[in-house]
Amino acid sequence: MNINQLIFRNLKKNLRNYYLYVFALVFSSALYFAFVTLQYDPSMDSVEGSVKGEAAIRAASILLVVIVSFFLLYANNIFIKRRSKEIGLFQLIGMTKGKIFRILSIENLFLYFGSLLIGIFAGFSFSKLMILVLFKTAGVNSVASLRFSPQALVQTVIVFTVIYLLIMIMNYTFIKRQTILSLFRVTSSTEITVKKLSRFEMVMGIVGLVLITTGYIVSSKLFGGDFTTMPQLFGAMIFILAAVILGTYFFYKGSVSFLLNLIRKRKGGYLSINEVMSLASVMFRMKSNALLLMIITTVSALSIALLCLAYISYYSAEKTAEKNVPHDFSIIDRESADTFQSALEKNNIPYSEKSIEVVQVTVNASQLIDRSLEELVIDPKAMPLPLISEKSVSGMDVSRDEVVFTGYDDLLQKFMPLKSSGSIKIKGKTETLTQRYVGLEDIYPVSWYFTAGGVPTAIVDDAIFTKMQKDIDPKVQKESSLYIGVDIKNKEQLEEADKLFKSTETYKKLYNESRHEISTNQKKNMGLIMFIVGFLGLTFLVTSGCILYFKQMDEGESEKPNYMILRKLGYTQSDLLKGIQYKQLFNFGIPLVVGLLHSYFAVQSGWFLFGAELWTPMIIVMVMYTILYSIFGVLSVLYYKKVVREAL
Amino acid sequence: MSILKAVKLHKSYGNRNNKQHVLKGIDLSVEKGEFISIMGASGSGKTTLLNVLSSIDQVSDGTIQINSFEMTAMKEKQLAEFRKNNLGFIFQDYNLLDTLTVKENILLPLSITKTPKKEAEKKFEEVANELGISEIKDKYPNEISGGQKQRTSAARAFIHEPSIIFADEPTGALDSKSASDLLNKLSGLNENRQATILMVTHDPVAASYCSRVVFIKDGQIYTQLMKGEQDRQSFFKDIMKTQGVLGGVHHEH
Repeated sequence: MNINQLIFRNLKKNLRNYYLYVFALVFSSALYFAFVTLQYDPSMDSVEGSVKGEAAIRAASILLVVIVSFFLLYANNIFIKRRSKEIGLFQLIGMTKGKIFRILSIENLFLYFGSLLIGIFAGFSFSKLMILVLFKTAGVNSVASLRFSPQALVQTVIVFTVIYLLIMIMNYTFIKRQTILSLFRVTSSTEITVKKLSRFEMVMGIVGLVLITTGYIVSSKLFGGDFTTMPQLFGAMIFILAAVILGTYFFYKGSVSFLLNLIRKRKGGYLSINEVMSLASVMFRMKSNALLLMIITTVSALSIALLCLAYISYYSAEKTAEKNVPHDFSIIDRESADTFQSALEKNNIPYSEKSIEVVQVTVNASQLIDRSLEELVIDPKAMPLPLISEKSVSGMDVSRDEVVFTGYDDLLQKFMPLKSSGSIKIKGKTETLTQRYVGLEDIYPVSWYFTAGGVPTAIVDDAIFTKMQKDIDPKVQKESSLYIGVDIKNKEQLEEADKLFKSTETYKKLYNESRHEISTNQKKNMGLIMFIVGFLGLTFLVTSGCILYFKQMDEGESEKPNYMILRKLGYTQSDLLKGIQYKQLFNFGIPLVVGLLHSYFAVQSGWFLFGAELWTPMIIVMVMYTILYSIFGVLSVLYYKKVVREAL
Repeated sequence: MSILKAVKLHKSYGNRNNKQHVLKGIDLSVEKGEFISIMGASGSGKTTLLNVLSSIDQVSDGTIQINSFEMTAMKEKQLAEFRKNNLGFIFQDYNLLDTLTVKENILLPLSITKTPKKEAEKKFEEVANELGISEIKDKYPNEISGGQKQRTSAARAFIHEPSIIFADEPTGALDSKSASDLLNKLSGLNENRQATILMVTHDPVAASYCSRVVFIKDGQIYTQLMKGEQDRQSFFKDIMKTQGVLGGVHHEH
């Protein structure tokens, strides 16, 4: 048998044994290629055009390369360790290390570039398929189809060739370092080095926490106006990434074991089964897996943040439409409303009407608002606000000296936070009334024509309203002071009504609007971005989940002897399983919690570029992510169950 | 009073076509406070015997009673329960958990039975002093020597005062000094605590520390020797002689 046959046979055998490695390769090359393809796609030009958008994409692209390299190097590490026996055997029969390295390299070359090819193909067809799905859901007929970009191909091949060289260097040093004896021993020795906590590690833990905090602080100032030019902004982003990522590494390297060690010290050597399985094992493994955990945390944080932002923009689309146009159709003059309504009647579309009289007043709200932002051109001492009567809002009861604000969104809240109490002055033409501010309601009674796009609407007692109506200041009044909302009773007829709305003259007049149209327009506009971000976020979720799961599979195998000992001592399978669940709570929980925190700060720093609502979409995404992520935790527990059963 | 009573033990591995009959009807009874060792060549079935006696493996036929509990009829859960209260283990490769300190390893059996912490602490002091491992109690297994590891393992086996302790080649991985040290400690514990120890070994020196040696050959009891009143040296010679007769391949002329 010559060398070529040997290589071929090895290849055949290893494909079956190391599907994990192949999977990692295919998956990461597909992911990377899909991303680069999207990056070079003409439809992304509008996103890249803006300074901030480009900075974000470049940062994400760098991050992706880093993540993919570590993912592959990690997989290769497992791969080569498992083959150490084989390498030892080759040496034993007299092969030189150089020859073994050559065999491994050629074998890897086939495996690697074969997988890369599959990965690129998969990545392309996947992104193409997803784009098709996207256009279908967004209802776009003209297909701006994703083209195969040679540029993307070249970039992918270059990046992966560099990673291949890195892997080769790693293999070379691995083989060079090893003696025959140690090669045989590698699999039997545990990967964890159990040592006492050194002072150096404590310092590391503290440095980690400091770095993370610094990153958080800078991130909250990112779009506050301190960084204006592109290089500055880019630099700040890179700094945040570096600080937080490095901090996370130190956190796992030092802080976690430090904290767990404190808990453990208190037990005085008397550990329950849960503590034996979780504390003791997690403490050492976290330390030796700090690099891996850092990657996983960063990946999770990135994907949660991306998903949050995507969902914020999506969620805000509906919400903004709802806010701007509170009813299915918003009309601001009687005449158009009548035309439209008669058209509806003719077509047998039942509807309901809600008309609200609106007065524009000037309000001095300086007691409620601390700062004035020049950029917003709003003076808190003389804000034009729409005023309506309590009767216009069902279920609202405001007493004579009170006022309620409605419709004040998260975005405005960020720039111009309202205090919870105080009094405001409402100015008419002659009279000025002082009302006590009692609260903020999350309803939007009138359309954005009246609220100038975002200011709150003031609700007062009916008597006060009538009074103000008689004392209007013509200077601040708008052309119309009547809001007519039309709701279609049967939502299935909405499209039909929308067509009627367009066909009658109603539509021609500015500020007569259909909510349906606004929201579909908005969704269409950002469909692509939202989709790309969502796609990447979900892929990242799968990657990090997979790595943790594989890691746990590996860990489970290496801890099998421990389970045997414990079972011999008389612990039942269910005792052990309880301990394992506890342990997985740490193993999956810590990266998740840290990741959620990271992404929370990332989202906080720039969410307002994406939409108007923060909390609801962010919480929804985080809860969803946690649930999906837990699936991998549950899977790993199931795997452990098998390991424990077979342990005795 | 006999602690362990095994009657007509049979154990076979493999399927119908390729059956390996390892134990062929072994009868054995162990008295309370006895220090007994089982000897035999490689492949004679001594480790299998230890495994079935200690409930880690199932017998194919026969009955085992420990403390007059019938073990062969027990379910997995009951067996675990039984092991935690009645059995202690010492193994050739120590079987310590790498991630726990010496003290934490030793206290494990008490943690299963939910012994109060104070009492556990007291028991730990006693057994650690007897075995001379108090100074290393906060070290991790990879920081101590083989002999210390095996003494830790022994301490873990003794701490909950089980009815019987099974030791599988406890001196197998130790140098001669650590080995004799451990064996002295074991026989000390055997005398002081009236602990019952059943040890499997192929080392005649180790066996000579026992009060009784059972020889196994091809899955059956070949013979047994009692130490009686004689000293260790002459008992050792007896064992050597028996082993000479028993061991090796017989050439027929």
